Amino acid sequence: MGDVTLYHWEPNANSGKPMLALMEKGVAFCSHYVDLLNFDQHKPDYLAINPQGTIPVMKHGNLVLTESTAIMEYVDEAFPGPKLMPDDPRDRWRIRWWMKFMDQWLAPSFSMIGWSIFVGPAVRSKDPEELRAAIERIPLPERRVAWRKAIYGLFGDDEMKESQRRVAVGIGMLEKALSDRAWLASDRYSLADVNGFNLAYALPLSQPSLSNDELTPNIMRWLRSIYARPATKTCWAMGRTAMVKRAAILEQPHIGREHAS
Amino acid sequence: MSTSMSMTLYHGEPNGPSFTVLAALFEKGVRAELVRIDLAAGARHELPCAQQSAVAMSVEGEGPVLVVDGEGMTDSVFIACYLDDVGGGAPLRPSDPYRRWETMAWCRQTIERTAPAAAFLGCRAHPPKADPRLLGKIGSADLRWRWEMMGAGVFADEQLADSRSKIAAAVEKNEARLDGRSWLMGEFTIADLESYAWLAAMVRLVPDAFAGQVRTAAWMERIKGRAAVRKALSLATVADPTAYWAPGPEINRWG
Repeated sequence: MGDVTLYHWEPNANSGKPMLALMEKGVAFCSHYVDLLNFDQHKPDYLAINPQGTIPVMKHGNLVLTESTAIMEYVDEAFPGPKLMPDDPRDRWRIRWWMKFMDQWLAPSFSMIGWSIFVGPAVRSKDPEELRAAIERIPLPERRVAWRKAIYGLFGDDEMKESQRRVAVGIGMLEKALSDRAWLASDRYSLADVNGFNLAYALPLSQPSLSNDELTPNIMRWLRSIYARPATKTCWAMGRTAMVKRAAILEQPHIGREHAS
Repeated sequence: MSTSMSMTLYHGEPNGPSFTVLAALFEKGVRAELVRIDLAAGARHELPCAQQSAVAMSVEGEGPVLVVDGEGMTDSVFIACYLDDVGGGAPLRPSDPYRRWETMAWCRQTIERTAPAAAFLGCRAHPPKADPRLLGKIGSADLRWRWEMMGAGVFADEQLADSRSKIAAAVEKNEARLDGRSWLMGEFTIADLESYAWLAAMVRLVPDAFAGQVRTAAWMERIKGRAAVRKALSLATVADPTAYWAPGPEINRWG
């Protein structure tokens, strides 16, 4: 399978979804690291591959695929290996419902918090002129706004509060779903779990007062089960930043309330 | 085809998300009990399944609900995928994985970029009137907030301009895609239904976007000519279903 190339950043959020799906399927791929913190995704050679300047992109032979969740469905259908979508039509609906809910409602709130505390500060020290030029090169206007806010620390109190509210609601929904089933959206490990782990792997660190073994035992069970999978181990070992190394917290056998203080 | 499961579809007028699901249901010949509810009054929030998270927290906002064995299913594209899986007749997604990816990625961009813009413009032109009794039952705080803003007539200029430009971009993309094709994916798919569902009313609300877009105009006529679509549109209880709107997906709050 030398004909698959994935252009990705860290095993985290959108980049991590196809990375982990490919590894679960046992599909070898050529890894092309796109450094989000160096604005590689807005440089001409990358825009020639994906004019929207979003990460990730997968090439399969001559085919070019974008949209991480849709790429995961492609990976599941186009390659042999363990099925990551069940056969039952209603399970498939539920998996897609959860992926959309996470992609469009919950992840943006996690993202806003993550960008304000990690991505913004990580790039802020660069040359101001270079930063201004980097923002100008961003093709999608909404991404330009997001980067400007992250770089210059312009997130408003109201929007941060709303993001925190959504994170709390989302954690409650995840805990409820995972108390009903072994996995997020069906009785088998699926793309919804791959998607969800990319969103929530550092939850007990990033939201210690909302997620730990006492408050959300089912989320913790779920995160540890996914973290223990060989594909996850291999995938997260590809991470380069401190952000991704936070997944190691899942090696602790118990994370209690005291952790929050 | 049809299953022995009990299926009830709660739907609004055949516009937006209710259009997609009704047309897909008829395309696939799936039998379900059809129950019209007034989505534009908030009637979804008094359904027995209203508090199930998939219903209360649907990203689509006020869309139809397909109840199968007690489970309320929302989000029109994924309901259509479900109907495609369980129904008979011609498939509504290509069988080749790459062309299926194209279909799903197209729908994703429609859901994320076109639908919020169309719902914003539609509700601005045809404000839904929530039954005050039902507002308090809305489980999602941000959906309730969208209802309240619309009730108060608050439509920010910035979002108005952004929504119009998103519709123009969607029509342009549609027009380019139809070059040499009758349907967006070559064969007729859910992508045609979903794009039509959100764009049909925009012909009147953002006329500039459609000026000279002859392939899109002809494609809309082809869609309206399909038997399943005619059947869906015949369920309208108002003279013009494209004037029927309820709060839809929110406009992206984070790029």
